[in-house]
Amino acid sequence: MLPFAQVMRQADVNKLYDEKLNNRRRRAQAQSERRGNPQGRKRRSRVKAKLFERGMGLDLPFLLLVIVLLIIGMIMMFSASYPTAYYSSRINDSYFYIRRQLIYAAIGVAAMLLVSFFNYNKLHKLAPIMLGISYLALVVVLLVPGNVHRWFEIGPINIQASEITKFAIILFFAHWGSLYYDKMQYAKYSVLPGFAIFGSTAALLVLEPHYSGIVIIGILTIVMLYISGMKSFYLALGGIFLVLAVIVAWVTGILTYAMTRMEGWGQALIYTTEEMWQTTWQTRNSLYAIGSGGLFGLGLGQSRQKYLYLPEPQNDFVFAVVCEELGFVGALIILLIFALLVWRGITLSLRSKDRFGKLLGIGLSSQIGIQVVLNILVITDWLPNTGISLPFFSFGGSSLIMLLAQMGLILSISRTANIEKQ
Amino acid sequence: MAKNRKKRSEKGVLQLLRFRTTILILLILVLGFGAIVLRIGYLQLIQGAELQEKAVEQQLVDTTINSKRGSIYDAKGKILAQSASVWRVVLSPIYFESNEQREYVAQNLSKILGLDYKDLYKKTKQESYYVVIKRKIESNEREKILSFVEQLTKKYKKLGGLISLIDDYKRYYPYEDLAASVIGFTGSDDQGLEGVEYQYDKYLTGTPGRIITARNANQTDMPFQYEQNVEAKDGNSITLTIDETIQSIAEKYMKRGLAENQVVNRGVCIIMDVNTGGILAMVTADGYDLNKPYDLSDADLDAIKKLDTEEKRAEAESAALSAMWRNKAIADTYYPGSVFKMCTASMALNEGKVNDNSTFYCGGSVTIYDHNIHCHYTAGHGSQNFFQAIANSCNPAFIQIGNLVGAEKFFKYYEAFGFSEPTGIDLPGESDDLFFKDNKMSETDLAISSFGQGFSITPIQMLTACASIANGGKVVQPYVVQTITDVDGNVVKNTETTYKRQVISKETADKMCSYLERNTIQGGRNNGYVAGYRVGGKTGTSEKIGTSRSGHKDYIASFCGFAPADDAQVACLIFFDTPTGASYYGSQVSAPVFVDIMSEVLPYLEIQAEYSDNEKKYVDTVAGSYVGLTVKKAQSAAKDDGFTTTVKGSGSKVISQIPSAASKIPTGGNVVLYTDKESRKNKVTVPDMVGYGVDTVNNLASDYGLNVSFTGVTSSGNSVSTSQSIAPGSEVKEGTVISVKFGGGTVVHD
Repeated sequence: MLPFAQVMRQADVNKLYDEKLNNRRRRAQAQSERRGNPQGRKRRSRVKAKLFERGMGLDLPFLLLVIVLLIIGMIMMFSASYPTAYYSSRINDSYFYIRRQLIYAAIGVAAMLLVSFFNYNKLHKLAPIMLGISYLALVVVLLVPGNVHRWFEIGPINIQASEITKFAIILFFAHWGSLYYDKMQYAKYSVLPGFAIFGSTAALLVLEPHYSGIVIIGILTIVMLYISGMKSFYLALGGIFLVLAVIVAWVTGILTYAMTRMEGWGQALIYTTEEMWQTTWQTRNSLYAIGSGGLFGLGLGQSRQKYLYLPEPQNDFVFAVVCEELGFVGALIILLIFALLVWRGITLSLRSKDRFGKLLGIGLSSQIGIQVVLNILVITDWLPNTGISLPFFSFGGSSLIMLLAQMGLILSISRTANIEKQ
Repeated sequence: MAKNRKKRSEKGVLQLLRFRTTILILLILVLGFGAIVLRIGYLQLIQGAELQEKAVEQQLVDTTINSKRGSIYDAKGKILAQSASVWRVVLSPIYFESNEQREYVAQNLSKILGLDYKDLYKKTKQESYYVVIKRKIESNEREKILSFVEQLTKKYKKLGGLISLIDDYKRYYPYEDLAASVIGFTGSDDQGLEGVEYQYDKYLTGTPGRIITARNANQTDMPFQYEQNVEAKDGNSITLTIDETIQSIAEKYMKRGLAENQVVNRGVCIIMDVNTGGILAMVTADGYDLNKPYDLSDADLDAIKKLDTEEKRAEAESAALSAMWRNKAIADTYYPGSVFKMCTASMALNEGKVNDNSTFYCGGSVTIYDHNIHCHYTAGHGSQNFFQAIANSCNPAFIQIGNLVGAEKFFKYYEAFGFSEPTGIDLPGESDDLFFKDNKMSETDLAISSFGQGFSITPIQMLTACASIANGGKVVQPYVVQTITDVDGNVVKNTETTYKRQVISKETADKMCSYLERNTIQGGRNNGYVAGYRVGGKTGTSEKIGTSRSGHKDYIASFCGFAPADDAQVACLIFFDTPTGASYYGSQVSAPVFVDIMSEVLPYLEIQAEYSDNEKKYVDTVAGSYVGLTVKKAQSAAKDDGFTTTVKGSGSKVISQIPSAASKIPTGGNVVLYTDKESRKNKVTVPDMVGYGVDTVNNLASDYGLNVSFTGVTSSGNSVSTSQSIAPGSEVKEGTVISVKFGGGTVVHD
């Protein structure tokens, strides 16, 4: 842990940044004959500090939840991955994945703590740049040869382009929403940029192709615009449109076709053709693994499906092995920890004294929740099997480091929120 | 106004944010997490059992452990078929990492197992966990493989699981072709394919065991103690009624009969216990080696090679194989011919239509409607009584006898003798009879049926009918399997004699036995007379319906008889399909074989021989050992044994003797006792002893100082020697036993 004094000093710095930002905003508001809300300050002072937050800049429960999830995730990833690693003639080393994941986790945790001291308000300026980088990454990744273009390499690290995009979208809309907090009810400030950014991003993702990426980006865009104050009417309109589209697709049979095209979505247990049976192999064996777990599971390390039946159990399908080994009870406990993390992340972000921090924290926290939900829908064959990793569990250097850095951001937000209360 | 709205908005924005965040939390944590918890719960708790079953199905590998097939024993407990442990060599070439390893393994394995290197190397290239390299290797090869595996794992540590030996069994038939058509053989999967092996497959097979292990998707073991073994239960053993000794005797003479009579389509000999129905021997000669059931004879192979297309060759090969495997004793149908007269006579006698004094006239032929039926004795037998009609095997007489019985009764007896249905013998492939259409007989049908033509039956049916005459009128069910015992020796099944019905009264049967006995005595060797035994029997010669040789009529020469005639124990049927030698008559082809077989089988069955005074002279006695005794003592010992002696040399003690101790010499034969080495050099030239009567041969032998062992028929006055065991002109020592065969008696060309 960092020395208390240092934490305090950093908090002061944050406060300074914050005031500076507020002043600037007030000036801007004055220029356009608009004033900041003095009541907002009052509200913040009303927030009561909880016991163990006292004296600490960063939110310990949140940090604890992150660490707990990281540890459980690493153990389960190791359990799921070692047979594959052992039997693979290319790797032939049971510790291949866990060794790397440990290194990534160490880097990630360091990044998290470092970022937690970083004033997230600096990211305001970075938001449009980050969005630019996201587009760049999405374009660059298309140039990588292969059938599926999702990753590109920078040095020793494989980076999934959509990881950058997800963060860029959250960051940008947090920036946008805090900048135009009072105009978000206008379609021009909400629906229009939403469509523009999501549409262009989705178009690039279709080319990869990365359908689940589109789903995540779409949901994140909507979440960000929704909490930023977009009119519910537009959302309802969009919802109705979506429902109609699904109904039309269903009636015309396009949905079934699409489901078949999308890795045999929803057809894992039904034998139609040999080709489809092979395509749905991973999803089917995921279902077998989950089903085999029962209430209490086969015991830690006792999964059988991970013995080459379930391909790449260290990646997206790690939770199927978790379900098999720890059962429904184990899965429930882990989901509860995730839920607590999301809850804590969102609530602590709400206590942030500035709008940017609120939106950013809520966005980042929601992202974890959304990703957990989508990942599990994929491994249970309710969504097409198109690559949604499980935070803290799935193997992957760039995503883990990125994830922990984002957790660092939330911690940074918690720090400023707590400072305010001191 | 605008300002106010903005102010409200400022405050409202925050409230809106709080509200919407709550909605968001609800959506993610309640709706989203709720959905996935329900989904996982559904999969794990409700669909779990079903999914787990499917998962387990693919994870568990069920390996079958072969059970040891039960043995087959003869009636005396000799092993006729036995399974021995062998191994299957299985390679998992997926473990190979380099061609160098492949070459090394292929080289060594091809050397050990005698396989082609190139083929083996090709197999090492397969991406598989299970490639069978060689089946059924024996323990010496197994040892070599094991030591090679040891050497291999030292050299390449990762190749430990490369070679595996899987337990298997191989079937051995120690007596090779003995009773081949009865025993049958097994296929590559140890399944019975013919004979008892097929019929009793489910008893012999036993229950295979299982090893259930958890395997990963590559089919190698998972590191779990997840193994469940179900022990294999070995198959039951079968004891046949077949006696190896009797079977061997029958096969020996059947083979000789085949050769002497140049039989084209093989022959059948069945010997049955008339009281139980147990089959003591069942020969389809020539048989085939049960250890190599797919090896055809050279003649067959040559014939197949001459065919022009591959298709024809394959067809011919499978036809030749099935002909070779065919159990003619139960699968062939034939016109029984004159043998059937014993049944016709039994019917008439049982119905009271004939008696000893009934007379029948034979003018050489009979005309029934437009059909002119000849007697084999075209000059005509004239007036005959009932016994003479049987002994003459007179067709016109039997037409009259059949007529007395009538078509309706004839068919009733036909059914009652068991001809109208398979005997139900416990062997596969038994054929049905072929009677007249709708079982209705015209007058002509009845006429020809009465001497055994016009309908087809199987040899086993004929023998069963004959047995019923021999045993006092009871039709028994023939069978070959006496007992089935499990691995621990408990009897699983024991065959009890099944009496189907009384077909004729005991009186009729006894009378028929005495007729048939008199028939053999009158006909001698050619009617089945066996010296020293009371036997009954009937010859038969029947024309075959089709023909296998163009321009020739094909015949079946058969003989069916039983012994002893007064208290029958065994019945025997001899059947030669298409003899092409000097004769095709049952009396000349089959009856002598019956005699030869019975003269060995009856003593083996410990049926006491009763020789007539004339015969007694020619009965062989076992010579004692007189070597080492003083001349006087030796002479008296030999005299006690019933031999005369000739002393050669001047020594005081016997140093050797001819015939040697334990050899058979006719009673009253001469034993030459040598007392010094010089005397042993004396030799005599064997004279020609063929073509003389019994007494002449006897005199010749004693003139030359030789002993004669008489075989064949010596009882009737017209016996003539037909062959001698040592060729004339050979130099032999004095006292040597020469066996001389006699033939003779009335030859009936029926």
